[in-house]
Amino acid sequence: MAMRQTPLTCSGHTRPVVDLAFSGITPYGYFLISACKDGKPMLRQGDTGDWIGTFLGHKGAVWGATLNNDATKAATAAADFTAKVWDAVSGDELMTLAHKHIVKTVDFTQDSNYLLTGGQDKLLRIYDLNKPEAEPKEISGHTSGIKKALWCSEDKQILSADDKTVRLWDHATMTEVKSLNFNMSVSSMEYIPEGEILVITYGRSIAFHSAVSLDPIKSFEAPATINSASLHPEKEFLVAGGEDFKLYKYDYNSGEELESYKGHFGPIHCVRFSPDGELYASGSEDGTLRLWQTVVGKTYGLWKCVLPEEDSGELAKPKIGFPETTEEELEEIASENSDSIYSSTPEVKA
Amino acid sequence: MQTPLTIPVPVPVPVLRLPWGPDGLSCGFAHDGRRAALKPEVPAVQECPRVQGSGESQEQWAQTALRERYLHSLLTMVRHQVSFTWHEGVHVAAHFGATDLDVANFYVSQLQTPIGVQAEALLRCSDIISYTFKP
Repeated sequence: MAMRQTPLTCSGHTRPVVDLAFSGITPYGYFLISACKDGKPMLRQGDTGDWIGTFLGHKGAVWGATLNNDATKAATAAADFTAKVWDAVSGDELMTLAHKHIVKTVDFTQDSNYLLTGGQDKLLRIYDLNKPEAEPKEISGHTSGIKKALWCSEDKQILSADDKTVRLWDHATMTEVKSLNFNMSVSSMEYIPEGEILVITYGRSIAFHSAVSLDPIKSFEAPATINSASLHPEKEFLVAGGEDFKLYKYDYNSGEELESYKGHFGPIHCVRFSPDGELYASGSEDGTLRLWQTVVGKTYGLWKCVLPEEDSGELAKPKIGFPETTEEELEEIASENSDSIYSSTPEVKA
Repeated sequence: MQTPLTIPVPVPVPVLRLPWGPDGLSCGFAHDGRRAALKPEVPAVQECPRVQGSGESQEQWAQTALRERYLHSLLTMVRHQVSFTWHEGVHVAAHFGATDLDVANFYVSQLQTPIGVQAEALLRCSDIISYTFKP
């Protein structure tokens, strides 16, 4: 069902946005990182989309980006054959991890002590971030380039996807536990820790599997090829986007298509729900990220319901009294500050 | 006979503003590397913990009162003729419509300029020297 909503469009990237990730909920709110083929991943405030900073240093397209839980660190995977770890507060580069081919995916453990990487060299690598000089542990087995690699089951296991398989590995023994084969190219994978659910997209299918056993739970078919899907934290909805530029929202329990939105001017490469489930973000070939309300009509972040009475524009009496300040004193202060009335804010409008 | 709609179609919620984009000058991030917490901590952890005299709070009250007066003045200006003064002695008049959240732009209509009347326009507040109107 086609619906209308006003998404928040985040501009700034100059090439397609290929990956995005939210942090957990921190005392400072939650954050969003986007990976872009322009080589300049960006950090944004998660609920507003406001740009915070750009991580500068990669010399090629950035294919993967992630934040640790408390958004103090970021990691990126790039076509310059490196993965980088960043201080997400200052924007400084902390580590450059050299690889032998394009790196496509990065993921922190819950405690941020280890970083998992995967890429075109078909190897999974585990870096101890407390020992950056040490060689990473390597897991081989994939027969085509790794597109996505994720920690799961409290970091005791690893899930990885290449073109036609999804594999489950045991961290301690570094061996394969199970694998799934697909006839079509796997386009994305998302892991939901609560409930140990794995969301996999391939072709027009959005499939849900147990992350522990890889057994199938259910799957839905979309009207078009899907590149990415995300399950709501409370598992009421899922959202998906792909080659027809549209976003689809489904009821997870019934599979019913609830809403669909046009807005992007190119295929959607990545979709993720925010950690509080109030919005979801989409990244597209058109170079933008868009934030969409999960429940249209709520006041949240930059979305503000305006009631008809608020628009009257009539003069109302000021509500604040002037307890110890006389009119003369007000005038004195006003004349001191008169310049500030006409100054403009430094932010550049998107 | 039409079946009455039981579920109302949600109305798109307007947005206050677009998300801020890169400033084009720097790579961003807080200058001192610290983030502002959403919820302020215990009141004791303020920048001026000592309640030194009523001077500072008096100034704060005054600032608040002036700010509120200014915002009310903007509300009063709506649908009124306003005269703007620009550089080089340029004066224009227009019907005031609205301001944006940061008071960076004024939306006006029937802008009378030396080269004709503009039906609708956005005036950049940083270019305005002064403006007057009669309520």
